Amino acid sequence: MRIRFVLDGYDVEADVKLTDTLFRVLKDRLGVRSVHFGCGEGSCGACIVLVDGKPRYSCLTLAASVDGKKVTTAAGLRVDGELAEIQRAFVEHNAAQCGYCTPGMILVAKALLDQNQNPTDEEIYEALAGNLCRCTGYVPIVEAIKSLARR
Amino acid sequence: MSIEGDAGFYRPKKLSDAIRLKKILGDKTLVIAGGTLAVQLLNKYLVEPEAIISLEDLPISYVKVAGRRVEIGATTTVASLLKHRDLPQALAEAARSIHGLALREAATVGGNLMAPAPAGDLATALMALDAEVMLRGSRGARAVPLSKFYRGALQYNIRRDELIYAVRVRRVPGFSAFRKFTAYRYSGPTIASVAVGLDLDRRRIRRAAVSVGGLTTHPYRATAAERVLTGREPSRETFEDAAQRVADGVSITHGLYSEAYLRRLVSALFVRAVEKVMS
Repeated sequence: MRIRFVLDGYDVEADVKLTDTLFRVLKDRLGVRSVHFGCGEGSCGACIVLVDGKPRYSCLTLAASVDGKKVTTAAGLRVDGELAEIQRAFVEHNAAQCGYCTPGMILVAKALLDQNQNPTDEEIYEALAGNLCRCTGYVPIVEAIKSLARR
Repeated sequence: MSIEGDAGFYRPKKLSDAIRLKKILGDKTLVIAGGTLAVQLLNKYLVEPEAIISLEDLPISYVKVAGRRVEIGATTTVASLLKHRDLPQALAEAARSIHGLALREAATVGGNLMAPAPAGDLATALMALDAEVMLRGSRGARAVPLSKFYRGALQYNIRRDELIYAVRVRRVPGFSAFRKFTAYRYSGPTIASVAVGLDLDRRRIRRAAVSVGGLTTHPYRATAAERVLTGREPSRETFEDAAQRVADGVSITHGLYSEAYLRRLVSALFVRAVEKVMS
């Protein structure tokens, strides 16, 4: 079937199979680099995108279900070519080492700050509970998010 | 009747259409709410559906609280649930325990009822609230107590043409709580969970419900512990006696955790759950 949706600000179309996941369509069909495969079962968060503003595991989302919706990856956060605040904060705080978890982390961070402008450490760790990072030990990621809360 | 689908993908807008579709399309159909279970089944080659029915457009995402009566639509996500301040305590605690913003946006109450351990935290909490599963099929609607909903591992009291449309608690108990233990502090699968629902005053526990998750495929009611509690005074001694009975009569066969550990764990979780009411 043919699906039409908005991806990082662009109107896109793709022919998808009934059982295709959104992850597969983004990665294989549309060549998107800002989602990564980590587990395929909604545990690691490397595949996370925003669907109509809400964070979702793209590996657990059917492509068919995003027809008519707005999908945002971390690459779609830039405003007028400039890095978004959350991206700048990640850079400033060394919150990415290998970068594999980063696209998912950034989107969940953004979703958290959209809902809660002044999260506690506990609230940040709880929000990120579905995102695994093997490099940073999480602290710089949490610091990056906290730095935006203080402003 | 006209329900449009595209290459086998259906997004019915009315519950009656969804039921009819499920009946017509039969066994080779996958029903999807949030997808946390259904899409995993696809990814792991455990199902090969010829049609998929998505429940996302059905008007069964709601939370209705009227006094001590609560009804929650089956496709209500955990994220939506958490927007309500007046949930029964055990349910609120179970919802907050579900890990991460992305999972909360996909996990639904109905899906959680069907999910096998280590998932099913909401089911564990709802079982201690004496919840009923509201089903609708081509022959009409019926309510099944959650404690009678599970017939075996992944076997439910649900007919081929039925869908879960809501879960209902007729009377929220005076006190309820939910405690769970996971592999990591902020994430990881549930190892075990305990939910408690009590009606009590300073002298007597009039009604007690205790449910346990994680030790068996689906949550169970710890009736031995409930018998210890009912009619007794809410003293530390009563609760500690009940704690010893929380895993009674259950055959525990876990590949990762020893039986002794799990029995000890659920006792400890029960004590934590009732901490506030121990006089």
